[in-house]
Amino acid sequence: MNVIDLQNVETIYEGESIPVIHNINLTVKAGEFLAIIGPNGAGKTTLLETINGILPYTAGRGFVLEKEIPIYKTAIRKEIGYVIQNFEIDPLAPFLSKDIVMSGRAGKIGMFRFVSKEDWEIVWYSMGLVGMIDFAHRPIGRLSGGEFQKILLARALAQKPKLLLLDEPFSNLDFSTRRQIEKLLNRVHEKQQMTIVIVSHDLSFIPSRCSRVIVLDQGKIIMDGEKEKILTSTMIDNIFHKKGVNQ
Amino acid sequence: MIDIPLALLFTSILGAVLAGFVCSTMGVFVVRMNLSSIGYCMSHAAFAGAAFGLMISVDSLISAMVFSFGVAFVLGPLSEKARLESNVVIGFLFSVMIALAFVFLNFIPGQAASGAALRILWGSIFSVGYNDLMFLLLLSFVLIFFIALFYKELLAVMFHRKLAESAGVNTKLFYFAVLFFTGFSVSLSLRLVGGLLVFALIINPTSTAYQFFYDFKKIMIFSPVIGIVSCLIGFWLSLITDFPIGASIVIVSAALFAFAIIISPKRRKGNGKQRKMGFKLNT
Ligand SMILES: Nc1ncnc2c1ncn2[C@@H]1O[C@H](COP(=O)(O)OP(=O)(O)OP(=O)(O)O)[C@@H](O)[C@H]1O
Ligand SMILES: [Mg+2]
Repeated sequence: MNVIDLQNVETIYEGESIPVIHNINLTVKAGEFLAIIGPNGAGKTTLLETINGILPYTAGRGFVLEKEIPIYKTAIRKEIGYVIQNFEIDPLAPFLSKDIVMSGRAGKIGMFRFVSKEDWEIVWYSMGLVGMIDFAHRPIGRLSGGEFQKILLARALAQKPKLLLLDEPFSNLDFSTRRQIEKLLNRVHEKQQMTIVIVSHDLSFIPSRCSRVIVLDQGKIIMDGEKEKILTSTMIDNIFHKKGVNQ
Repeated sequence: MIDIPLALLFTSILGAVLAGFVCSTMGVFVVRMNLSSIGYCMSHAAFAGAAFGLMISVDSLISAMVFSFGVAFVLGPLSEKARLESNVVIGFLFSVMIALAFVFLNFIPGQAASGAALRILWGSIFSVGYNDLMFLLLLSFVLIFFIALFYKELLAVMFHRKLAESAGVNTKLFYFAVLFFTGFSVSLSLRLVGGLLVFALIINPTSTAYQFFYDFKKIMIFSPVIGIVSCLIGFWLSLITDFPIGASIVIVSAALFAFAIIISPKRRKGNGKQRKMGFKLNT
């Protein structure tokens, strides 16, 4: 089964005229572990948000779990865990970490249903996975950058998603925490057959179970293949050091 | 001190409590969702609407709602998308509403004109009728029901709208529900607190609660409590000093807020670092 199937997809931000990503053809099978790499502004975040339908695509067609994205976006999103790229959080924000992790399940539990004991068990379990149980009652605005990132990951895992979209999940983590989270992702991928897409611009941090790498540059997929081949190709060097191979 | 009949005293106290409840409950959402400017505009539209109602002799409650929802209808979609022009339109509509309100007040027919006009400007305990009470009571129950039923969705939306959306929550629905209930709350509280000040009753108690708690549930409980207390003390203050009731309620709630800022444990220095986290790498 294809978890993601994009056909000639193009996305234009509202009020803009130039597509940020275009001619995107991408199929991801169930259980794949995929990394998207590319320089700043390449369109990685845009691509992820096109996949979960936050940004409507403007041309082509796209399917997630064999459902057309714009039509079934609410249903699809319940199966997609999304870890958003860093954002500013008000230090006085009135939320406890455990409630934020639970908020990942809000859509999945469904309207008119109350949070149950099992839901809380799942929440505690995923906080345990990222090693943040002790922080459950901490206000979210008083966490360090890395701790906050782990809470956001726990939030996505608590959703028990079929597809996990991670936008630079390592950006605030120190070396040993990165290794820890990498291991966690490897384990989640192995045990739960989750399909994982991870966005990174740090080539040295692609988890070991990730086998496929896609290179995005200036809104286009310019390479797609096995990790080893891609990472050793000379083109990568060009993109990351000169920015742009097309000129 | 003014002598007032017991029945009237009872209705007005109940009115004050309920107005305090609905406004400061909605305040939690309005403040957290950054809807202050649109809410501000809506409450002034309700003010203009009430004036319009007096002018054409229609129940001012109905005309207040019509105006307030009209503004929400125009501004809601604009500011939902965080479009640049939404602030411009809010500023524009705000001034238009104030101007209209004064034009309408000027044309209120009959002798009661100045009294009625002053009442919707400053608020009055005498203008809370039985119908208002019933509507306020109904709205209070609907709000409690709404929050209890959709607590998890509301919390998700309050935290981060895009993340809530990405987890499959229909955030648009809750955004417009908040605007809708805000419109009701300001329209119903208008005659008690007055058109120029009603929005303070939305913002002040909530902002006070935000000074003390990190747990959303506590804010959800204490914001209405502070709102009700402000209204009751304000009511009493107005009785003994003869201040307009709206003004005394707002003075009390503002004083509570100022006090909260001073003693807030969140703002105390040396109580842990206040970190601003999150940076977009290399952007
Ligand atoms: N809301 C927006 N409106 C208009 N253009 C946007 C918007 N968000 C992003 N863009 C543009 O789209 C392009 C791709 O942005 P995107 O955020 O997808 O890049 P990215 O690959 O995720 O970069 P980074 O590594 O910095 O996160 C950029 O040129 C950016 O300026
Ligand atoms: Mg990005």
